[in-house]
Amino acid sequence: MDVSFAITGKGYVILAADTTAAHSIIKVKLDEDKIKELSPHLLMAYSGEPGDTVQFAEYVERNIRLYQIRNLYPLRPSSAASWIRRSLADSLRSRKPYSVNLLLGGYDTTTHTPHLYWMDYLGTLVDVPFAAHGYGSYFALSLLDRYHDPEAPLEEGLAVLKRCIDEVTKRLVVAQPKYKVKVVDKDGVREVEL
Amino acid sequence: MSRSYDRALTVFSPDGHLFQVEYALEAVRKGTCAVGVRGQDVVVLGVEKKSVLQLQDPRTVRKVVMLDDHVCLAFAGLTADGRVLIDKARIECQSHRLTVEDPVTVEYITRHIATIQQKYTQSGGVRPFGISTLIVGFDPHDTKPRLYQTEPSGIYSEWKANAIGRSSKTVREFLEKNHKDGMSREESIKLTVKSLLEVVQTGAKNIEISVMESYGKVTSLDLAQIEEIVADIEREKEAEAERKRSRLAATAAGQAAMSQRAGGSGQ
Amino acid sequence: MSIMQYNGGSVIAMVGKDCVAIASDLRLGVQSLSISANYQKIFPITDRIYVGLPGLGTDVTTLHEQFRYRVNMYTIKEEREIEPQTFAQLVSSTLYERRFGPYFIEPVVAGMQKLPTGGFAPFIAATDLIGCLNFAKDFVVAGTASEKLFGVAEGLWEPDLEAEDLFETISQTLLNAVDRDAFSGWGAVVHVITKDKVVTRTLKGRMD
Repeated sequence: MDVSFAITGKGYVILAADTTAAHSIIKVKLDEDKIKELSPHLLMAYSGEPGDTVQFAEYVERNIRLYQIRNLYPLRPSSAASWIRRSLADSLRSRKPYSVNLLLGGYDTTTHTPHLYWMDYLGTLVDVPFAAHGYGSYFALSLLDRYHDPEAPLEEGLAVLKRCIDEVTKRLVVAQPKYKVKVVDKDGVREVEL
Repeated sequence: MSRSYDRALTVFSPDGHLFQVEYALEAVRKGTCAVGVRGQDVVVLGVEKKSVLQLQDPRTVRKVVMLDDHVCLAFAGLTADGRVLIDKARIECQSHRLTVEDPVTVEYITRHIATIQQKYTQSGGVRPFGISTLIVGFDPHDTKPRLYQTEPSGIYSEWKANAIGRSSKTVREFLEKNHKDGMSREESIKLTVKSLLEVVQTGAKNIEISVMESYGKVTSLDLAQIEEIVADIEREKEAEAERKRSRLAATAAGQAAMSQRAGGSGQ
Repeated sequence: MSIMQYNGGSVIAMVGKDCVAIASDLRLGVQSLSISANYQKIFPITDRIYVGLPGLGTDVTTLHEQFRYRVNMYTIKEEREIEPQTFAQLVSSTLYERRFGPYFIEPVVAGMQKLPTGGFAPFIAATDLIGCLNFAKDFVVAGTASEKLFGVAEGLWEPDLEAEDLFETISQTLLNAVDRDAFSGWGAVVHVITKDKVVTRTLKGRMD
């Protein structure tokens, strides 16, 4: 039942994910943070099989951090995406694959460009201007086809994101009550209130 | 079959020595000097830097490295061995966070490093690490600075101030004479530089200083700052020498006057 | 629903006179939901070889990385560029290594083969997902629209087309075939390879 969205704009990427942790039909937590800050300019929203998600996200987090300590500089978003994709692709053909879907948003400080990657548990990696996972994707993607502007300033980006969330809240049977929204741009990552 | 049990290189000599470990210590003694000093709420690492060759990139020659956000390590001995050991330690730091959601304590990572070093004195087909390390840092949720040392044998110990590498004995004796408890940041840095100057003849440009002030807060001093401290120390030494000279002169003059008086009265 | 249809996508390659062309659509979806309209599944291997990898998205990337690695090792060890014929064999053996747990990809290779005389000859080949090679003299197709591609190509292709005509033929074949396939489409990319240059064009199709 996880819902997550992401959109790029002029010099930024916004990621949003619901904050519900559920056990079958029971909500057990309403303020779960499902967006990890992997490095100063990299965010990762994760969803999928409970257990696998946090386990895999923390594994990624520690490896990205290890890279930064070893090399004194962090991985660029595209390289981080490749590494994470390979981890999932290897896992897919192992005895017990992780079933985790990801949205990876980052700001490349060397080229000064924002990047957004859509990734699923199979290890399918796609570079996209906007993306979504879960049931929300059926509503959000068509909305974003109409309203997304890659050159929009942050306020407009957040407004479009709000539209997506409102639509999902209105039309989806199992609406999510609360979302956490994070932005990454040249100044790094930060949480914003919608 | 014989391959499986007679490959150990580190074996006892008849009088109970492990020569390979002692040779490793010799490699440490040949390495450049590193000093660690603990103050009231600060811990300082200082190392003697080999002069970088004209065309070499100085950034690729590092003797003080971070193991995690809050732990810093300096080593003396074979740089190549150091690199490998440091990498093992860095992996353990992240692995520890991943498994128990807590950063390592300084003692934990020191013990881990020492354990690796010990393993390489007791397994087949390997030689000991030719390095000693100084490990400094702060434990999570704690304000007490820490300073540990490890050796090729796998011994580890905690210190108020210590030195490893070339002429470490001289430096340690200097530290024993001059270290006092509860030093401020400035005092600690000064003592570190001063003790290094005992063995580094070339002065500021061959000294590297890293200061850790609290959990995760590390700064390394730039050349200008170190030069200033060195100049300060030089001035102090000069003043001291001057005082000594004038005292000597005074005594000499006093003695001369006395002997003159004595002579005069004798006439 | 077969796993070969999960992400969708199609590739076609055609032989012309002293040229070859390779083209693909740009869609990547999850079953019937489109995720991207700019998903490249054709990759350059050398200046004269391109490979198209239609099939499961994750394996597109994995195989591309695998081929890049093996071709780089070949280039270093042999101190020369790989030829299309050799590369096709490399593709085949890479896939057959996973005979009992295959990559879900049906690669298409297109390139200009160097001849002993010093000239170049067009070369195309395709394999199934376990590496069974098919060398064709006219055209090869693969992906979710392969049946339609076969039909249209059979009608439009003729021998000894010049580069510009070959471009028109392959473009029309691809665009019209993917219009009848729900899992392919959303624009296309066409590479026309001749002995000394490659012309790459991106096409708009029915973007629905």
